[in-house]
Amino acid sequence: MKVPILKQGNILIATIQSALTDNDLLSLQDNLAHQVIQYRSQGVVIDITELDVMDSFATRTLRNIANILKLRGAKTIIVGMQPDVAFAMVQLGLTLPDIKTARDLDEGLTLLK
Amino acid sequence: MEKQSLPKSLNIDTLNLMNGMSLDENEIQHRKDWLQFDQSDEARLTELNEMAQGYADEVIESLYEHFLKFEDTQRFFEDPNILKRVKNLQKQYFLRLTKGNYDSKYIEERLKIGAVHASIGLDVKWYLGAYNFYMRAVATRLFKAFESKPEKALAAFFSLTKLVYMDIGLAIDTYIYQRESTIQRQQEAIRELSTPVLQLRKELLILPIIGAIDAQRARQLTEQLLHAIRDKRAKVVVVDITGVPTVDSRVANHLVQTVDASRLMGATLIITGLSAEVAQTLVTIGVDLTKIHTVGDLQGGIEEADRILGYQLIDSPADPSHLSSQE
Amino acid sequence: MVDDQVSIPILTDSDIVSARQQARELAKRFSFSSSELAGIAAAISELARNIVSYATQGTVNVSLIEEANKKGILVIVEDQGPGISDIPLAMQDGYSTSNSLGLGLPGVKRLMDSFEIQSEIGKGTTVIVKKWVLR
Repeated sequence: MKVPILKQGNILIATIQSALTDNDLLSLQDNLAHQVIQYRSQGVVIDITELDVMDSFATRTLRNIANILKLRGAKTIIVGMQPDVAFAMVQLGLTLPDIKTARDLDEGLTLLK
Repeated sequence: MEKQSLPKSLNIDTLNLMNGMSLDENEIQHRKDWLQFDQSDEARLTELNEMAQGYADEVIESLYEHFLKFEDTQRFFEDPNILKRVKNLQKQYFLRLTKGNYDSKYIEERLKIGAVHASIGLDVKWYLGAYNFYMRAVATRLFKAFESKPEKALAAFFSLTKLVYMDIGLAIDTYIYQRESTIQRQQEAIRELSTPVLQLRKELLILPIIGAIDAQRARQLTEQLLHAIRDKRAKVVVVDITGVPTVDSRVANHLVQTVDASRLMGATLIITGLSAEVAQTLVTIGVDLTKIHTVGDLQGGIEEADRILGYQLIDSPADPSHLSSQE
Repeated sequence: MVDDQVSIPILTDSDIVSARQQARELAKRFSFSSSELAGIAAAISELARNIVSYATQGTVNVSLIEEANKKGILVIVEDQGPGISDIPLAMQDGYSTSNSLGLGLPGVKRLMDSFEIQSEIGKGTTVIVKKWVLR
């Protein structure tokens, strides 16, 4: 399942719409890295409202994405994490300490503007 | 046993009872098997029906005479109309015992009666005493009627005993089931009361925690809080733990988890009411409190929350380009 | 009567998704809270991932169980991989999450009510976890 990436001004919006395999996540990482350069984007919002599980691989990939995009001069914000997903994550010991979060897409976009 | 008419307000949902107590055809047969109650018992009981019709009235009269001697049972029959009605119901039940067809319909009727008795607050001891009175009254008459054939009287009496024990079992199970349901409802109510997530204003929630926190409650608190953050679109939550008697490393670690989870959702958690002593103890035993945003008391916490929310609304004056996007 | 157990062979990363989805569907039949369901899915994802990362192939078995007045879910994850040489080390917090390959075992233990692990070098690893429904 490919993750659609929308361009809105100088911001990219990636909306995760269903369960992702490791390869889906890696191709998201790849696509964002390329598109940030291509569109000279200042920021990326990754909307995970629809995601129902975050395990260590998904967490690590999101962290990698944020670090890669930072090297390319763009900020990353994760938005829309569901309460149950967040609770399971912290119990697994996954906290994403250095990544910006926001409640939803609107707030994420506001923070980047 | 019918001792009081079914008041209108008592709406007994027998189907729900049957399901709740898992009384399906299998379970009913299982109960009969356990009592060794079979077709021959049913046949022996049915044979007695005619005789029972003969002595039903006098047995029931003497039973109620007995009831009326005790204050505890007397209070149920103060109204003569009720007494009359109840006697009539009692007679129906007494005759029903010898009418065969002890099927799920029969079981349902027993549950209904057990539930009514539980609802009016009749203790099990009165219930059992009444059954015992019954058995003695019937035994005397049976052995008299079959004077020449005591083995026949004994067999019939045993069959009746089995059926009555089944009925008693059903009634007591209904008592227990109803009480357990009440306890469960109360526990749920207490749980809800003990985790009041309050909305103070737009985007600001307050959660005052009162009482001890065990693993289960800690988990429920976090679940409810995180769901409230999403549902009420909260930006800041002030959790006041002044009312928590002991904050040990487990509770503290749980708070840290809740702080982390809230942050992942894009909200900020402020903890208030953590005393200096407790904070020192926690640091000494190695709990990492650096992640927790603490403020001395609830008032301070709310002020801090307002500051965070206010900052959010006014935006940073350091960068004038932001002003253009403000409403 | 729907089957109250599923067995999912794990070979590739898409099997991880399938394992956690099927486990969640099964667990839904008991009254787990939504956050417990997410926890079960996350735990199974971690365990299945260990198979893909270390053992290349294995199985995730999930079944509904009832025991003395309680209901729950039993998950047995087995592989024929290299085995874990130092289990106490693998069970240490931090070892799992900071390591880029990740074992995630202490996290799984926190998410579930009981956790057992058996491992033999050169033979494989079996992890058995249970989660009970509250009340």
